Amino acid sequence: MDLPTGIRSFSYGEDMAVFRTKTHWFWLLLLLAVLFSMPLFLANYWLSVANLIFITIIAATGLNILTGYCGQLSIGHAGFMAVGAYTSVILTTRFGLPFPLVLLSSGIMAGLIGMLFGISSLRIKGFYLAISTLAAQFIILWVISHWDSVTGGTNGLPVPPAKVLGLVLKSQSDKFYLILIVTIIIIFVAKNLSRTKTGRAFVAIRDNDLAAEVMGVNPFRYKLLAFFTGCFFAGIAGSLFAHWTGYINPESFPFTNSILYIGMIIIGGLGTTVGPIFGVIFIQLLDVLVTHVSPTLQAAFPGLSSGFVVGIAPMLFGVTIILFIIFEPRGLAHRWQIFKTSYRLWPFSY
Amino acid sequence: MQHMSVSRREFLKVAGALGLVAATGGSLPLFTACGAKVKTGQTLKVGSMTPSTGPAAEKGKPGQDGLLDCFNYINTELKGVNGHLIEPVWRDSKYDPAVVATIVPEFMDAGCLIFTTHASAEMTAAMAIANPAEFPGISTFTSQTLYHPPKHIYGQMPDYGDDWIAFAKYYLANIWKGTGKPRMALHLLNNSTGKGAEYGADAMADTLGIQIVANEQHTATITSAIDSLTRIKAQNPDVMFISSTPQPTSIILKDAHSLGLYPGITVGCAHASFTSALVQLAGADVSEGVYGVYSTVTWTDNVPGIAKATEYCKKYNSQDFGNMDYLSTWSTGLVIAQILKQALDNVGYDVLAKGDVNSWRAIEKSGIQKLNGYGVEGMTAEVGYAPGDQRLSKSLKMYRITGGNITSIGNWIAAPYIKYEDYSWFPKS
Repeated sequence: MDLPTGIRSFSYGEDMAVFRTKTHWFWLLLLLAVLFSMPLFLANYWLSVANLIFITIIAATGLNILTGYCGQLSIGHAGFMAVGAYTSVILTTRFGLPFPLVLLSSGIMAGLIGMLFGISSLRIKGFYLAISTLAAQFIILWVISHWDSVTGGTNGLPVPPAKVLGLVLKSQSDKFYLILIVTIIIIFVAKNLSRTKTGRAFVAIRDNDLAAEVMGVNPFRYKLLAFFTGCFFAGIAGSLFAHWTGYINPESFPFTNSILYIGMIIIGGLGTTVGPIFGVIFIQLLDVLVTHVSPTLQAAFPGLSSGFVVGIAPMLFGVTIILFIIFEPRGLAHRWQIFKTSYRLWPFSY
Repeated sequence: MQHMSVSRREFLKVAGALGLVAATGGSLPLFTACGAKVKTGQTLKVGSMTPSTGPAAEKGKPGQDGLLDCFNYINTELKGVNGHLIEPVWRDSKYDPAVVATIVPEFMDAGCLIFTTHASAEMTAAMAIANPAEFPGISTFTSQTLYHPPKHIYGQMPDYGDDWIAFAKYYLANIWKGTGKPRMALHLLNNSTGKGAEYGADAMADTLGIQIVANEQHTATITSAIDSLTRIKAQNPDVMFISSTPQPTSIILKDAHSLGLYPGITVGCAHASFTSALVQLAGADVSEGVYGVYSTVTWTDNVPGIAKATEYCKKYNSQDFGNMDYLSTWSTGLVIAQILKQALDNVGYDVLAKGDVNSWRAIEKSGIQKLNGYGVEGMTAEVGYAPGDQRLSKSLKMYRITGGNITSIGNWIAAPYIKYEDYSWFPKS
């Protein structure tokens, strides 16, 4: 970790700590204070946007573990989210299980299904593995669409609000606190996972799986573990998504979302903890901006084809990904790293 | 000259303090300005979403144009509703349930009195938020699950089950010449659009005397229907009914043509796909002779609403001329204006000005539920509310594609009210 001059570590634990200085703790506490006070000054719309952002951060963090750290490309992440979402609804409505248990079970179920599709990763990699995960997306949604008696088929299922410690979380602000807390836990777990033996094994496999195996890393075991962890997070995101929207059907988890998540972690920065956070916030806020600017543009330039104005968002998204791949392939996380380094050195250039 | 020197530590202190002020005090007015309720003044805010991009954009874009042009017409030529201008708050839903889940709270925050969706799939996602809040919504295209049992969501048009029933009745009365029960295949979009037609068939097929021999589903992004149509062909149907959007329907028609299935059998379409976009996508030759159901008149009909819609469409969105989706949302715009007028007449502007739950209740009780015999400038059959029946328009017309044009072939067909929630197979919400 980059540290200001003069900071030394006197123990391994101190060396491994994420937050080392008082300044670190100050910024962390300030960030948490701002986040937890958001319902006090944000209207429902912005809270709903924040909820969507946090849920997407959880899903993208899972994908980042699988793809960014372990190098296993998955384009079926929305399908694994669907597994979590439906598990959550079924366990809540049919079995009346408490929400914390439901949330955990949703993650485990998605993780197990992810492992099933991850078995192929021992023999195939790259584009071939991507196609295998693509199959997961379509198989999962096909099963959901056709298993009417359990999933409601194409009609979908209404989802009751989550109930935690006797509190029914109905409003956007109630849901916001639940989603925020889970997101913080997930980010904490992801950050620490990347620094464990398991995390380092993931990175070794990503960089060269043959060399990793020679060093004693069991590729099959760790690839499956990466699939389980990545899909576990997707399942958690799916469960929260279901209880946030109040209704799910197969259209809630389109293939385009799986692609979008890949775009988000590329823009944010693959293989970093902050990458998915930056990527998701950037893309979602860009989307919100375009949504709000479009009607104004349409009014200001009546000569423009209205199809052009509504097409701005997808065009902008595509152009952004291309620009990032060309000019900043390491994503916003790398820019953040450069900023932090410059900040620590400023006003000195060395 | 003495240099002004600022140490790094001092700079950071000042910058940190300024940053803190900006983060707390500075951002507060920004966020509250963005999200808090604004004074509606003398306007009437209406939230509207259309799937203008995404997999149903070929319907959503003309739908957006028709609705906004209609509000423009009401504001410009009719001087609003009782002197109050309609202030549309329009958003593109992208046909994405997650986006819909953020748009509905925005409409509620903005003080909208009522909201509209174009697609039933949009309303399916929206109603989970709108119903508990008692925020009334009207979907132009509707499925039974939106309002069975009735809550705070209404349908401007009859639902997809009504489409199936109207087509089945017309087919039996005017096309079917054989003996016994005609064999019908269904090709349905895998969402509420397709499911709605299936519910109609489930409820009425036996009563009407129609045998359903195949039920195939497809997605909105379908690229081939050869497999499903081969299975349908093996069942030797007399008639096929498609309830979908224009793009997938065009693929089904083209593949049916290439398999030699059509012409040869009768093909009917529900109203979600029966628009000029279907003819453009499938081609006039492939779509020739296809029957369809729709709940508005067509562009060639001589009614006051069509004259105005034509004028505005040609002036502002000429690319939509001939598109039925433009007419359907134009009709929605007129119905919304009538609802607002009823509410203003019954409770006055002060109740509506707040844009809160009391305003929403007033819109529903004194606006929507007071609708009775409104003519919609001749665009649709008369609309009105009957207790329990949340469909505002209850009649459909039969059309046929001839020479690349959608041509009327009959008068209004009344769609009976069916209490779907009483059927054991109907999903419980």
